[in-house]
Amino acid sequence: MSKELIRLSNCVMSYDDEIVLDHIDLSIQDKEFLTLLGPSGCGKTTTLRIIGGFLTPTSGDVLFDGHRINDVPPHKRMVNTVFQRYALFPHLNVFENVAFGLRMGQTVVEQEGGSEIRRKVKIPEAEIHQRVMEMLEIVNLRGFEKRPVTALSGGQQQRVAIARALVNRPKVLLLDEPLGALDMRLRKDMQQELKRIQQEMEITFIYVTHDQEEALAMSDTVVVMDGGRIQQVGSPEDIYNEPRNAFVADFIGESNIIDGVMRADCVVEIFNRRFQCLDKGFEKDEPVDVVIRPEDVDIVSEAEGQLKGTVTSVTFKGVHYDTIVDFYGFKWLIQTTDFCPEGSRIGIKIDPDGFHVMKKSQYSGMFGDYSSYSEEYDEINDPTLLDEEEEDAADEE
Amino acid sequence: MRKQNRFGGRFVIGLVFLFLYLPIFLLIVFSFNAGDSSAVWQGFSLKWYASLFENRLVMESLATTLLVSLLATAIATVAGTFAAIGIYSLTKKWRDPILVVNDVPMMNADIVTGVSLCLFFVAFFNGWHGFAEWFNSVQHAITLPEQLHLGLVTLILAHVCFNIPYVILNVAPKLRQMDKNLVDAAQDLGCTWMQAFFKVILPEIKPGIVSGALIAFTMSVDDFVISYFTAGSSTQTLAMAIYGMTKKRVTPVVNAVSTLMFLAVLVVLVINNIREMRQEKMAEKRASFEPVKPNPFIESIREKLATPQGRVFRRVTAAVLCVAFVATVGLLTAFTTSVPVVNVCSWGEYIDESLIDQFEEEYGVRVNYQTAESNEAMYSLLKSGGADYDVIVPSDYMISQLIEEGMLEELDYGQIPNYSQIDDRFKDLPCDPENRYTVPYTWGTVGIIYNAAVVDEEIDSWSVLFDDTYAGQVLLINNSRDAIGVALKYLGYSMNTTDPDEINEAFELIADANARGVYQGKVMDEIFQTMEGGNAAIAFYYAGDYLSMVENQADGVDLRFVIPKEGSNWFVDAMCVLKDAPHYENAMKWINFIASKECNLANMDYIWYASPNAEALEEYPAYYEELYGEELDEETYEIMAAPEDVLERCEMYVCLPQEARTLYNDLWIKLGI
Repeated sequence: MSKELIRLSNCVMSYDDEIVLDHIDLSIQDKEFLTLLGPSGCGKTTTLRIIGGFLTPTSGDVLFDGHRINDVPPHKRMVNTVFQRYALFPHLNVFENVAFGLRMGQTVVEQEGGSEIRRKVKIPEAEIHQRVMEMLEIVNLRGFEKRPVTALSGGQQQRVAIARALVNRPKVLLLDEPLGALDMRLRKDMQQELKRIQQEMEITFIYVTHDQEEALAMSDTVVVMDGGRIQQVGSPEDIYNEPRNAFVADFIGESNIIDGVMRADCVVEIFNRRFQCLDKGFEKDEPVDVVIRPEDVDIVSEAEGQLKGTVTSVTFKGVHYDTIVDFYGFKWLIQTTDFCPEGSRIGIKIDPDGFHVMKKSQYSGMFGDYSSYSEEYDEINDPTLLDEEEEDAADEE
Repeated sequence: MRKQNRFGGRFVIGLVFLFLYLPIFLLIVFSFNAGDSSAVWQGFSLKWYASLFENRLVMESLATTLLVSLLATAIATVAGTFAAIGIYSLTKKWRDPILVVNDVPMMNADIVTGVSLCLFFVAFFNGWHGFAEWFNSVQHAITLPEQLHLGLVTLILAHVCFNIPYVILNVAPKLRQMDKNLVDAAQDLGCTWMQAFFKVILPEIKPGIVSGALIAFTMSVDDFVISYFTAGSSTQTLAMAIYGMTKKRVTPVVNAVSTLMFLAVLVVLVINNIREMRQEKMAEKRASFEPVKPNPFIESIREKLATPQGRVFRRVTAAVLCVAFVATVGLLTAFTTSVPVVNVCSWGEYIDESLIDQFEEEYGVRVNYQTAESNEAMYSLLKSGGADYDVIVPSDYMISQLIEEGMLEELDYGQIPNYSQIDDRFKDLPCDPENRYTVPYTWGTVGIIYNAAVVDEEIDSWSVLFDDTYAGQVLLINNSRDAIGVALKYLGYSMNTTDPDEINEAFELIADANARGVYQGKVMDEIFQTMEGGNAAIAFYYAGDYLSMVENQADGVDLRFVIPKEGSNWFVDAMCVLKDAPHYENAMKWINFIASKECNLANMDYIWYASPNAEALEEYPAYYEELYGEELDEETYEIMAAPEDVLERCEMYVCLPQEARTLYNDLWIKLGI
């Protein structure tokens, strides 16, 4: 788990004047499930395509097992890809789609006179058959091998795409928004299935998505990207609990982000009130962004509250209520199981571990106010919007 | 109210389709006509189809057409497909303008494409000539041909050129529909780009390629205009052959060959449309994620093909098809370019075609027999460098012009023993006083042809061409020399005058009559059909052609011929060989063969022009009697071979000096019509 497999070092990608990737450094470990997460146009697909060999970075190096592979074409990389909308070959049936890579032969490395010689060796038909059937077994598609791929449902096509990539036993599997076209339920099932397959086959998955829930649920490591830069790398828990800046805090889960000032170690001031927190190491009186997760807020009676506000809207979400509360003109999202009617006055209490203090960044002041709550929600959940932009970016090649 | 409207709409649609298809329907019906009329049904017969297969001109041009279409389609399909893929790998910024540029050649007038290609080729040939001369002079290991000519190669290149946009147009939408990730996916799975092309792109865009190829093929088969300008003189496509055949009259053979062509193109289009409809259905189902119900029959075939034996079968089939294609192209090439050859350019219906077969059998030399419209047309074709004829058959005055410009080669009379049989009257001609360049082919006179059913009087003067008596019923010959010539004769001047005042006066006579609406039109070979059908009352043309018109005249038409009292033109057409003729020896054989008594008799009988072969001319009445079992009409014989007293009234053209020729040209352009 600790061995480094892929390293991107100082990678820059630019088309004309537009910089798509801005000096990316990233290390990917063997057998880990790594997710590139970010909104459309953040550079995550570009990063994936650089690893796949479909793009060559404008500058910087791509290292695979310590060797520089910038100029190695895709068909010579030990990497396979599951494409957005699958890219199955419509003229071939399920079996032939999966067997496609095997029919192209297997690369054999031979040592000859000190230099490595790679050549393609044909795989015997019997072995192809066996490996394809095994793979179809793994993705639960046994019995479908004679079907034309055009006669399959979306979920089944997805499985064929995964089988087609994995049957080549790559060291790394790249997945580009593979679940984007599936409906909610199927997506949840496939998330688990992908995780299971990754663990069974013990290979590295690099997964691209704009869906933070998906990222948190499946990954060992999450890489949050925006504007062609990596914003934070960490485990899902790290990313959620210790967001490095307002962008990460906002993009991962729901957060209230408030301007504050660090008055001393473990003392933060918001709305002119001082609160106990667990964060240290800031300058005295340094301005900071303070993140408070909606579920970390307790609603109490107005009299007991550390802060007092008015409920402006309540939405029932099943497990909890999304309650928007106006504190001194700043709207907070609070997730609570207690029902507070619209217009009522309430107080809140926050425990010291409910405060996450972050240094000021370029994203300060851009997020965290829930007065435009619903619109923001829509934008994040509109996959069509993302697809189009991604395609435009791909067109530029 | 609504109902009526709908009825009206249907009525209009009906009319439109009637208008579109009735002519084709008539053509098809009359191709089965037992008689040779294009207007009267005389019973069902397949004889025109049978005669098609015996018509060497049709069969040869058909072979050329197939060869050119197949090769051009194959090349254009490959080139167009790769071009389309290239266009699609460009960014949007470049792709869209290029696709628009691709549309331009398709919308462009064929004539512009044809003329520009012709110009391009000729310019290239000129450049090549210079290069080859230099190249051959600096080294002797390789000898490059110095003279290139328009021909099969340029024809194929031209067809490739106008076919490529159609292929691109058909392939481009399939590329647009294709998931761009497919190529990435194939490369990801271990394909090089070329492997990805064959394994993934090709199967995906195959429907577009096939329909592109089919459309390119029909375009190639259909094309006339572009071929006309790029085929040169020794190659002829079917469309060009049909055009040549219709110059004098639309025979039922033309109907038959046109019908076959129409049906062939129809079949290709129907196949293409059915394919497209089927694919649209498939695409709809695919887009709606509706499972496509596999057709059990097709599935079973597909399964069989997927087995190892099936794969072998597929490869064998592909190999067989390839071999068949190459063999077809090879055979067609052999058929159309079998050597040795001789290229002959003559006038429409100016030979008994069986003589060509006879010559080919006897000497084993293939004859490329082409026709030109007039001396002037042939002259400009020669001047443009687009022709590679060996033997031409110009008229006297043109011969002297060609000699003057050094365009003719001296004949080797040692190889033409039959020259001795030529009547002395046709030797030492003014155009070739030393008998170095010519062997006479025919001779004859020009006179007035009129329909006695319409014209009551006995005509004996050119005046009928210029006064109002038959306004709108007179055909003017579309040839400045002949038209101004008779006007000069009518005015009492020499046909060979170089005095600009006299020429202008003659021209004014015509222009004035033209302004008054005397002339129905300016015609050359269209005169046959018009006069035979009784659609004009008066024309003047060659005596031999008058006789062939009489043969074909419609009921109620009574054509007569007269050489007016003012006198007329008499002419000799003679076989000559062009300078740098590529097949000089064969040309000598051809000329000697045609000059023989037997050929002269056959020709005289077939085309009704008088023979210059003394014995043939004398023996013709007897030959006629033996052949047809009846005596040759004295009057007819005299029209063919004008007696001495008539010839004395007539004048032979001599070559005019350059100023007079320019004046003729300018005046003729001024006339318009």
